[in-house]
Amino acid sequence: MSRRIPIGYRFLAPLLALLALLVAYPLGYSLWLSLTNRTITRQEIAFVGLDQYSGLLSNAGYGVAMRNTLIFVVCAVGIELALGLLIALALQRQRWARDVTRAFLLTPMFVTPIAVGLMFRFLLNQQLGAIPQVLDTAGVTIDFFGPTLALATIVAIDVWQWTPFMVLLLLAGLESLPRQPFEAAKVDGASMWMTFRRITLPLLRPVIAIAVVLRALDAFKIFEYVFATTRGGPGTATETIQYQIYRTAFQFFRLGEAAAMGFVLVGVVLTLVVVLHRLLMRQEAAT
Amino acid sequence: MAQISLKALVKRYGDIEAVRAVDLDIADGKITVLVGPSGCGKTTTLRMIAGLESVTSGRILIGERDVTGLEPKDRDLAMVFQNYALYPHMSVADNIAFGLKARNVPRAEIERRVREAADLLDVGSLLKRKPGQLSGGQQQRVAIGRAIVREPAAFLFDEPLSNLDAKLRVEMRTEILRVQRELRGTIIHVTHDQEEAMTLAHRVVVMNRGVLEQIGSPADVYQRPATEFVARFIGSPQMNVLDADDARASLGVAGVGDGAARLGVRPEDVQLAGEVAHDRPAVRFPALVEVVELLGASAILTLRARADRRLRALVSARSLAHVHEGDEPEFAIERDAWHRFAANGARMAT
Amino acid sequence: MIGVWRRALIATAVVVVAFPYAWVTLAAFKDRAALNDPSRLSFTPTLANWREVVEGRVLESALTSLLVGVVTVGIALVVGTLGAYAISRFRSGGAVSRFGILLSQLMPPAVLVVPLFLVAFDLQLRDTMVAVVASHLTFVLPVVTWFLIGFFDGVPREFEEQAMVDGYSRLQAFRRVVLPQVLPGIGAAGIFAFVLSWNDLFYALILAGGNTTTLPVKVASFNTFRGVELGAMSAAILVSVVPVVIACFFVQRRLVRGISGGGLKS
Repeated sequence: MSRRIPIGYRFLAPLLALLALLVAYPLGYSLWLSLTNRTITRQEIAFVGLDQYSGLLSNAGYGVAMRNTLIFVVCAVGIELALGLLIALALQRQRWARDVTRAFLLTPMFVTPIAVGLMFRFLLNQQLGAIPQVLDTAGVTIDFFGPTLALATIVAIDVWQWTPFMVLLLLAGLESLPRQPFEAAKVDGASMWMTFRRITLPLLRPVIAIAVVLRALDAFKIFEYVFATTRGGPGTATETIQYQIYRTAFQFFRLGEAAAMGFVLVGVVLTLVVVLHRLLMRQEAAT
Repeated sequence: MAQISLKALVKRYGDIEAVRAVDLDIADGKITVLVGPSGCGKTTTLRMIAGLESVTSGRILIGERDVTGLEPKDRDLAMVFQNYALYPHMSVADNIAFGLKARNVPRAEIERRVREAADLLDVGSLLKRKPGQLSGGQQQRVAIGRAIVREPAAFLFDEPLSNLDAKLRVEMRTEILRVQRELRGTIIHVTHDQEEAMTLAHRVVVMNRGVLEQIGSPADVYQRPATEFVARFIGSPQMNVLDADDARASLGVAGVGDGAARLGVRPEDVQLAGEVAHDRPAVRFPALVEVVELLGASAILTLRARADRRLRALVSARSLAHVHEGDEPEFAIERDAWHRFAANGARMAT
Repeated sequence: MIGVWRRALIATAVVVVAFPYAWVTLAAFKDRAALNDPSRLSFTPTLANWREVVEGRVLESALTSLLVGVVTVGIALVVGTLGAYAISRFRSGGAVSRFGILLSQLMPPAVLVVPLFLVAFDLQLRDTMVAVVASHLTFVLPVVTWFLIGFFDGVPREFEEQAMVDGYSRLQAFRRVVLPQVLPGIGAAGIFAFVLSWNDLFYALILAGGNTTTLPVKVASFNTFRGVELGAMSAAILVSVVPVVIACFFVQRRLVRGISGGGLKS
């Protein structure tokens, strides 16, 4: 019977091997890189310890990128959560053409992000886009990609594409909620708002937590919309972390620096996950 | 069919001993029931016999074969699980035939055996359906059919009736008895329901916390419980157990209680004084009837005796003719009816 | 009363979602002149843009994406199924492996891409399918495994145990009894994973080149700041979007059920 253990590990081995090769090794390599001054052109690579990291602290551009990214994540995920919840609640009650509507509303999350970025780039383009034209007839001129609005526009694009993701998770969560508390509330005479606040929300909390974590993690990686539309501009208004790393590594070829940037991002992401996880655990313990 | 022997069987999970040194001989051609509360080790023992759990130490013999290290498929046992484990993607016929296909039995033989088993269990008309289309009782029969068809050395039943509603459970018990008598199979049946154990078993094995408390016929286990645990576990409503001192104080028990730490008396032995002949040695005491639960032919009375000691009595409905809640009639317990237990729970002679 | 608001919300959502699709579809059939005047609703449809699609190697890049996706998902499903089964049934690797898989999922591509790029460069694997597939596996493998663990957890152990007592070895029991039950889940996870691979731009942009252009990279290449390739780009976007939208219709119901049944419980 002790043979059971080897079977388990035999099954697990290919998976672990691939992950070690494709994820653990590059991670380690990246760590190493971040401690060097490697660039694509440089011949002798020197170990510089934590210089790359300290360099980031004084790098104003990096600070801006980090700030932009954080603002983006908070705004986008926040809006997506609120909208997603409303839409999920509405979809749950819907009877007519149910599957078709759901399938249709979920499609944006499956479209290639670069395609989405480009679609909106031209939809909102001053000369060629339909929306500015429509606004024009109402006498309103909005420069969607100008310095004040560019980041907001990127947020809007993200909202268009990813609110359906929230809807998917929240809908699945809503549909797996037990009926009885709601029936009891109905018998007790609770209003719709009260039912929502006191029953739906608390029961949905774990789902919301997971949805927010997943979405936030993904939002940190935002690249395609920036690449498709503003390329970080105007100025550095929409320079996000992943875009900046891309440029540092593949336009400026400063690989060591890019690796360090990447690792700081990993640190931020891990912290976010741990914090949210802690919050979720405490909620579970409290209820 | 074969005899199964467990020798000094031990199962340890880390620091926890789920099964401690069990020695048991399972008789050939009879139903042996392992019964006890959850966590007592009965299921673990069954799974070790099946080969689904590894043995920490000890041996398992089926017939003359030592099967302790063998894979489940090599032990020639058939098992029925609590939730039947019927394969939802296969028809009933395929489900039943499943084990036979594994052993490369020729097709014609498989069909014959499946037919036979299905007829025996009255599911012959359901062979083409899928499990999802069957009721709980029908699924149960198919699960048993699947086991029978393999003609194994022994059957292992892991709480197969627990998922059925009360009425169906009683029906299925009779079914199992009928099938066993027909096939003379060796069955090891695990349950937490003492009533099921009593009705099904040739031999009852009462387990608690990994240890065997008593092995015996249903009558043995009921009339001569070896430990206080067995006395309380077997029998419904539960046996009344009191400290010997309390029995003296509230009921006026004399003599019987000497030397014993605790005394037990079954509710049916707590009778209305009028039912016991005057010359029979018994302790007689008045008690307040707090609650009467009428079961039909009999009734359970909750009594409050002196010093607030509570007892339950099981009396016939007829004898209740003039007794109501709030009355304080006299009750009697015959001397022979008492069970004596030592401080460690072991039975003491009367 | 609330019903009205509800319907209005959904209607608005449908319009908001449909609008870009509609616009892109129209643009794919407009000629240059029509494109310059976006408010014009009537125009003569032209297939010029679609000729561009065929000749301009858009279809070729779609094929590359397809190939990459199929290979990636194929590997991920095989390796992932075995690993997920081990983790679900034997708790192999304990909390470490579950956690490790989650960790892989968290890694931003930005941190992995540089080493992958350098290794590919050193091994002369730049601009080959191997590099792209390898990079896609980094996010497909964890997701697929995660889903599959959930699905396996949903199959009661009794099924294999029954088969084992009946005379099958564990491997046979796995194949005959557990796998058939998990197959629909595997299908859904596979489709989901394929879409993830189909949509990737970041890795494909950096690791692939002239020979292995995937569809997103090709679409991105229409993005010159002159912006005049609008028609062809719209056609290319449609080529990328339509298969995915169709896949979504198929997978939608299973996903909702699968997530509420399996994944959420983790």
